[in-house]
Amino acid sequence: MPRIVRHVLLILLPVVAAFAILPSVYGNQLLLFNFMIFMTLTQGLNIIYGFTGYLPFGYVGFFGAGAYGFSLMVIHLHAPPLIALPVGGGAAVALAVLLTPLFRLSGAYFSIANLAAALAVFQVVSNPNLESITKGPYGISLSGVFDPTLAYGTALAVLAATIGLVIYLRNSHFGMALKAIREDPISAGMAGINVVRERVIAWLLSALVAGLAGGVFAWYVSVFYPETVFSVEFTIFAIVFALFGGNATVIGPILGVIILYGIYNAVGISTPQYFQLLYGALIMGLVMFLPNGLASLLQRWGIDVP
Amino acid sequence: MSPEPAPLLAVDGLVKRFGGFRALDALSFRVGAGEILGLVGPNGSGKTTCINVVSGLYRPDGGTIHFEGRSIGGLASHRLVHMGINRTFQVPRPFLTLTARENVEIAIAYGASRERPGDAQTLLSSLELAAFADQPAGQLNSAHQKMLDLARALATGPRLLLVDELAAGLNPAELERVAIKLKELARSGIALLVVEHLMGFIDQITDRIIVMNAGKEIFEGRLADASRNPQVVEVFLGDENAA
Amino acid sequence: MFTYSLLAGLLFGLYFSLIGLGLNLVFGVMRIVNLAHGDFLMLGAFLAFWLFTLFALNPVPAIVIAFLVFASVGLPLYYLLVPRLLRAKDPEMLSFILFFGLSQVIEAVTTIAFGTSERSIPGDQLGHAVAAVAGFFAGHKVDTGPVELLGQTFPASWVASGVASGCAVLLVYVYLYRTRLGYLTRAVMDNREEAIATGINVHRVSAVAFGIGLGLAAAAGVFAPFMLGSITPAMGGEVTVTAFAVIVIGSLGNPLGTVLGGIVYGISYMFMQSYYSSWANLLPYVLLIAILLVRPSGLLGRRVRRA
Repeated sequence: MPRIVRHVLLILLPVVAAFAILPSVYGNQLLLFNFMIFMTLTQGLNIIYGFTGYLPFGYVGFFGAGAYGFSLMVIHLHAPPLIALPVGGGAAVALAVLLTPLFRLSGAYFSIANLAAALAVFQVVSNPNLESITKGPYGISLSGVFDPTLAYGTALAVLAATIGLVIYLRNSHFGMALKAIREDPISAGMAGINVVRERVIAWLLSALVAGLAGGVFAWYVSVFYPETVFSVEFTIFAIVFALFGGNATVIGPILGVIILYGIYNAVGISTPQYFQLLYGALIMGLVMFLPNGLASLLQRWGIDVP
Repeated sequence: MSPEPAPLLAVDGLVKRFGGFRALDALSFRVGAGEILGLVGPNGSGKTTCINVVSGLYRPDGGTIHFEGRSIGGLASHRLVHMGINRTFQVPRPFLTLTARENVEIAIAYGASRERPGDAQTLLSSLELAAFADQPAGQLNSAHQKMLDLARALATGPRLLLVDELAAGLNPAELERVAIKLKELARSGIALLVVEHLMGFIDQITDRIIVMNAGKEIFEGRLADASRNPQVVEVFLGDENAA
Repeated sequence: MFTYSLLAGLLFGLYFSLIGLGLNLVFGVMRIVNLAHGDFLMLGAFLAFWLFTLFALNPVPAIVIAFLVFASVGLPLYYLLVPRLLRAKDPEMLSFILFFGLSQVIEAVTTIAFGTSERSIPGDQLGHAVAAVAGFFAGHKVDTGPVELLGQTFPASWVASGVASGCAVLLVYVYLYRTRLGYLTRAVMDNREEAIATGINVHRVSAVAFGIGLGLAAAAGVFAPFMLGSITPAMGGEVTVTAFAVIVIGSLGNPLGTVLGGIVYGISYMFMQSYYSSWANLLPYVLLIAILLVRPSGLLGRRVRRA
């Protein structure tokens, strides 16, 4: 059977089924929701980092843009959530378009500039001068759209679409082209690949994923401060989960989230400093000894990792 | 008497500067369809820079490049590939994490300039790479990586192929096969510009050569005549590769 | 207000230069992004705080101690982390993540050890030190209060920070341009491969540069309680971004560039605070992005970083 069908059956269906069924078995819907959000974000980061090698240290900026895009549609235009959500995604894509000049920069410069951009967006959004539009530092409180069940279901749909997108990348020429670009942009150019265009497409897709995640997050919680949706913690977690699980694979980010976010919720919340120490040490260990994550370990043992 | 056919590639007064250094200094030459033109010269004379400019890696700072009558100076590499130009790299750069087959497939998928894209398997077989088709390119030895690089370039169906020092590191049997392959390509109508240090290889495959020095062409004609040209001899004095 | 902003900006600018100096040195020599730079500054600040609290040691000797302590930490840390890193396929990005991990570790350990509450050192402590030094040179007792410069008054700590930062910059300049090791360092900064080929012990040069970089961060940390307000274990992140802005504005690899970058940054920041204070927080980020896009080689223009 074609690889892509295999991947869908082995990964996408079980994950979707698990998150669909678990709420009726396990009471903490918020926790499951958070798992889905982080899984979506990590896959989104995977698209840009795993496949093109650029690390957007300000990835949370798209998440926040999505959350605010969604919220502003609801507050000012009284849009129904399912309309406001794509707008949230669109806000993140618009921000990504604005930031495309950053690709002229290499590696670390791109990452720092992207971080600065996200911080700048946060400063703008939370500025008291803009209170009438964005509610400034006082946070957003959405009334009339609170519907955790529907929001949960939508989040699940977003996650499914994202995993589907990564499966497509893993099995398509487009994904192959991205890996080629990551490895050697000059050689990729001589293979006829329009390096700039393909990279930008991956970037916009990655931003869209984060924007939709942000929008559905805003919908689910309905009350949040700017710091919540622009928290650099989202980026950090996504990076660590992706790094741990393994880049440019479908299963890597999923594994990373399940294991590490699982540990976080089991032990980390009560003792945040110890968890910070643990994942700081984990990051260092990974970079030094296993820079391509768990998936690379499996690949070394000859397993074809999806 | 029929008029001379228009050259496939016409380079006129090409200039490329790096800071204050003129790597290409008003270089001019022509290559016709089905012709194999050799490009030789001492180290640093600008041979690879010439290929880099024609293949879109660098923008020219002056002069013109015409391919099939169209000006192409400054266009991005991928556009040139779609127009029918490709090149090999002096140090091969296959995509190490992709298999040999995928290396060729990606070039066919993204770079094919003909309506009927080539077949990866056929191309690999013609370069004796079929056995390695499903191995990651990083596992191939350097000679096979060179052939894979050539396969990648050929996969896009070029009408002009720029070859950058393909012969280095190949054993005599491999050299023979490569020479046959290149002549075969020329017979099918492709124009080749072959940069080389190995004069024996040049002698075997080229009809005509250009000798470069310090970014300019100093001689154009047959290899045999080149070795009698005093300026050429002086430029190569001390170069152990001179035939 | 204009003169005040200008002079305050100059003083803060010199301090920001000091903050950026260590980061610039490390990046210039090893092409490694030390994302934990701000955390070493934080550690220096905490060291100064404890030296003051336990031994009533005023900040001036604390600077020297902080520098020496962390420079000596830097040497083994380099050998532990960097050589392996440089062998990887993409050392710049991986260094980014590696040192980010280190910054999390440092932050976590410090928080566990000291808690999250803010610490501060009374501003007049630095004033006492300045007065003592000034009194020594003037031959009579000098007032410890605010200092007057060109008709504007500033806290003595600001002036002392500015002067000390200026001295540190000069010392680094002397190191790089007047000592043999500094000369080798500049060679490595220029072209690492060539330096290796000419037989320079690149690892040793880099280790020393790394140690100096950390030492400078810690030394800058001593002034942090006065210049940046109270100190907490989590303050490192923002400091690192600021340091990055400074070195990017000023151009990579050139210590004078960092000074220029720091002063430009300091003055811009002060003016923003005075005239558009509600948007002042936006400045470092906008400045950083603008410089990277418009003139990526920085104001002094060397070593463009293009993808």
